[in-house]
Amino acid sequence: MSDGGTARPVRPRPRLRTLGITAGLLAFTVFAANEVGFDASTSWEVWTNPLWEMFWPIPWDWVLDRSNVLDPLVETFQIAILATIIGCGLALPISFAMSRLTAPNRPTYLVSRSVMNVVRAVPDLFWAKLLVTAVGIGAFAGTWALSIFSLAVMVKLFSETIDNADPRPLEAARASGSRHLPAIRTGVLPTVLPEYVAYALYVFELNIRASIVLGLVGAGGVGRVLEAQRQFFRFDRVLGILLIVFVAVFVIEQVSVALRKRLV
Amino acid sequence: MTVTHTPSTDSRPPPPKGVRGRRALLALALLVGGAWSLTGLDITLARVLDAPADAWDIFKRLWPPAMDEALDRGVIGKVFESVYIAWVGTIIGAVLSLPLAFLAATNVAPRWIRIPVRQLFNAIRAVPELIVAVIFIPITGLGPWAGTLAIGLHSVGTLGKWATEAIEGVDTGPLEAVEATGGRWVSGMRWGVLPQIMPTVASFWLFRFEINVRASAVLGMIGAGGVGAELVSQLMFRNFPAVGAVLGITVLVVLTIDTVSAAMRRRIIAGAARTSGPDLDADRNAEALANLTGFRR
Repeated sequence: MSDGGTARPVRPRPRLRTLGITAGLLAFTVFAANEVGFDASTSWEVWTNPLWEMFWPIPWDWVLDRSNVLDPLVETFQIAILATIIGCGLALPISFAMSRLTAPNRPTYLVSRSVMNVVRAVPDLFWAKLLVTAVGIGAFAGTWALSIFSLAVMVKLFSETIDNADPRPLEAARASGSRHLPAIRTGVLPTVLPEYVAYALYVFELNIRASIVLGLVGAGGVGRVLEAQRQFFRFDRVLGILLIVFVAVFVIEQVSVALRKRLV
Repeated sequence: MTVTHTPSTDSRPPPPKGVRGRRALLALALLVGGAWSLTGLDITLARVLDAPADAWDIFKRLWPPAMDEALDRGVIGKVFESVYIAWVGTIIGAVLSLPLAFLAATNVAPRWIRIPVRQLFNAIRAVPELIVAVIFIPITGLGPWAGTLAIGLHSVGTLGKWATEAIEGVDTGPLEAVEATGGRWVSGMRWGVLPQIMPTVASFWLFRFEINVRASAVLGMIGAGGVGAELVSQLMFRNFPAVGAVLGITVLVVLTIDTVSAAMRRRIIAGAARTSGPDLDADRNAEALANLTGFRR
């Protein structure tokens, strides 16, 4: 019997299943931490390691020399621009084949969807490395790899947008006797085009970031310089390159974000 | 015979003003940008025409995958190492980001601490994992610990941003109740905010884990542990059937983790009652995407 209600409510006992899941996750975490070499006693030494001094001071005259960093950086952005144009251009028709609303038939829908899922499950740099092996070291392989990856990301984003588009204009077009493509062209495309452009700008931002690291696997751009300096243990130069790159990326992203906000 | 000119009704309405000009401008920008990029990249027509055949030649040789050889070399173990790196990295990111998120949320943190913490999140998000790993490898040496630290640090940026937005979306009722009983700021966060945001935040952690599995696979390519190293060395030996096996196993594990994790996220958000709602995953994706892109439908 409660008298007056000043007593604390009884805390509910945790369920056995909750305890089991928590214990399981905890055990997995401990096991995984052990596997990756986590060691609480040495983790502080990472931050006090004297090797950090190798990152300083930054050799600005080397970093700001045109041919060292700036030219490869321009190449990086060219890769990103071209890959965005190719990937997003190809994504436009494929997305329509991949959406429930506009797929011409069920086999097309299923096949395109599963192929794109597999393409997306392969990380971007894996594509880059494969294509470097196939077509040779350099920016050409990088452009190809990024095009494939932007295509995979773009069709995922855009086909979901089409799924959610208003079906009524499409039905109206079909009811008036339109064939498949003109019906999509007049019934769906105008309603989803602003989002297409916004997503394309978003993919462009992703590509700008991805193109920086492409060079680490030999696919051109500023990452190539980064990889070379890293292998010579010139970490001061590495830090300088990174600073330049991030200023440039930051500026480009701000422009792209501003454009995207105006569009939507 | 007279011809009457009625205003025709079956002609198209004129397009809105300015659309044509803007379209032309956009097309011109794309054309100039594309052409400028083409000239800089040493891309010739011959290479473009040859490339598909070259690539196809390689892709053909990935099949059939040399599963036995891959298993002998312990590729499964390497893939799991990537998963461990992603898991521990996500936990590091989660543990570091959650308290910081409380300091960054508009409704619970004072302005002087909010701005620097937010800028910290932005700065961290701007640096890819691979770059963080490039910085860490000389310090920690080659191996999974460098990758784990890189993923952990990078995850702080996105996880912190998402958690901040979750906190900003809470119902203030419980928070006021705690304040009314004389609770301190910490109690308000613990009893007024945390129970509300925990399901959302936990699902963000899982979502980030999915992303991190892909990221940690890549980290191996520069020697930060995991399956990437295996891919690089097999490609170097041009042992394509083994490459096919590595790729196949990686894709299988990535897709499995995606599927399981998506089901868990659904369950966390919707509870046991609606485990198979058709639209929930799409909503979740849209939400996560809105968070990633800052762009809402």
